[in-house]
Amino acid sequence: MNPAHIVTVRDFSPVTLGAIAAHLEVSTDFEHMVYREAELDAIWSITAFALAQKPDDAVARLHETAHRAHDLVGEGRPRDAAALLRKVTPAI
Amino acid sequence: MLSHEENDLLTHTAAGTPAGDYFRRYWLPALMTSEVPAPDCPPVRLRLLGEDLIAFRDTQGRVGLIDEFCPHRRASLFWGRNEECGLRCVYHGWKFDTTGACVDMPNEPPEYGFDNKVRITAYPAREYGGIIWAYLGPAGQMPELPKLEWARVAENQRYISKRRQETNYLQAIEGGIDSSHSNFLHASVEAFRVTDEYLEKVKNSSNLRARYHLLDKSPRFTVKKTDYGLVIAVRRNAEEDTYYWRLTQFLLPSHTMIPYQKGLSIHGHCWVPRDDETCWVWTMSWNPEAPLSEEEWKAIREETFVHARVDPVTFRPLRNKDNNYQIDRNRQRGESMTGIHGFAAQDQALQESMGPVVDRTRERLGTSDTAIIAMRRLLLQEIRALQQNEEPFAAHHGDVYWVRSASMVLNREVPFDEGARELTAAEV
Repeated sequence: MNPAHIVTVRDFSPVTLGAIAAHLEVSTDFEHMVYREAELDAIWSITAFALAQKPDDAVARLHETAHRAHDLVGEGRPRDAAALLRKVTPAI
Repeated sequence: MLSHEENDLLTHTAAGTPAGDYFRRYWLPALMTSEVPAPDCPPVRLRLLGEDLIAFRDTQGRVGLIDEFCPHRRASLFWGRNEECGLRCVYHGWKFDTTGACVDMPNEPPEYGFDNKVRITAYPAREYGGIIWAYLGPAGQMPELPKLEWARVAENQRYISKRRQETNYLQAIEGGIDSSHSNFLHASVEAFRVTDEYLEKVKNSSNLRARYHLLDKSPRFTVKKTDYGLVIAVRRNAEEDTYYWRLTQFLLPSHTMIPYQKGLSIHGHCWVPRDDETCWVWTMSWNPEAPLSEEEWKAIREETFVHARVDPVTFRPLRNKDNNYQIDRNRQRGESMTGIHGFAAQDQALQESMGPVVDRTRERLGTSDTAIIAMRRLLLQEIRALQQNEEPFAAHHGDVYWVRSASMVLNREVPFDEGARELTAAEV
């Protein structure tokens, strides 16, 4: 797992979310936090687009979680962000 | 996305705000030297970080930067008379020198000695690189001038322009470091469609941007924190075994550079808050090796690239939102993506369309916005550090600004920082 690589976010599948969580767990530097923030921004954006098409409780939960996880990364707490993301991942 | 609190923290720069305090730790471009060209010339108005100021050049050639309003009755010193080493308010005759001292108060009895007790707010000013720089911060924290390459080349090797943009400074910087927008906003229609004719035209071009930029519309971003700010590396596919890299810098607090290709001129910007809803866009073009060529002057004159023609007093571009930036819908159909002439006007049109201060809680970012995210995060870190009394490193180390942007084609196995090492060192 290389935290200097940006996870490609094409969807919000468990595979994508798992990859982001795994990268969050090993992120330490300023640059890593920026990449994780970009990935969570992308999740937040595409879940918003999905919700605009069709309301869905699980997607809404993920949308909110991406927001909270994003803020945790901003506070320098990537592991807490990963835990939060893993908690909602099976529901998707 | 940013929270409301973060957005406010970054975009408010008046005196006493955290970002305002941060900007007040740096020398900021304030005026072209040509705005106050000679001793005792007319004073000019200037708004900077929400403060209304008057600039004047005294009899001995020193530049003064003082509060616009006379401390007596708050009349504007713009109407003042620039005479014998001071600016005299024409309302009641109070006169101030470049340090802000009141040197004459003819309407008060001299025995009161009132003039010795009165001062007007005055800020230090320095002339450097064709610009008058201002320092609006605390006296004990005066920074070094940044050792920027464009400021140190000969005058005939650079061109500097200034324009007023009706947005907060932050969304202007965001446009400056957002490499992916140029594939769309600044593209011709044939380039955007990547037509066969276009490919034929650029396939042997020595201009790397023309050759590779539009072939890969989804560039990959890498950022690296440095002493001066950030280096942003953008990677596009070039040939089968190579990548086309574009490296640009974000230099604290608000300088940026456009990727440079050896042999051509370099372009950069400094985005300075005028107030929370407008900013000064300083644009610099320079050739580190030779005087600007006729071709480069032609691009400047015809506003095809980064410079725009402006009103000489207000510095508002002649193409502006009141005339829809002179959009030509016929050209938009057949020639350019926007139908707006010149990169500067294209950028300004889109950035101003977002409103004076964009609501960043409502945006939808993706991984192509990595540079923007990094810049915001770095500025937030720096501003919060200053709130904890940690002074900004770059402000006191002018040498760290001695860098240059770059663009190059590298073998896919070569890391960008290794491949760019020689190219990114400034040379003058």
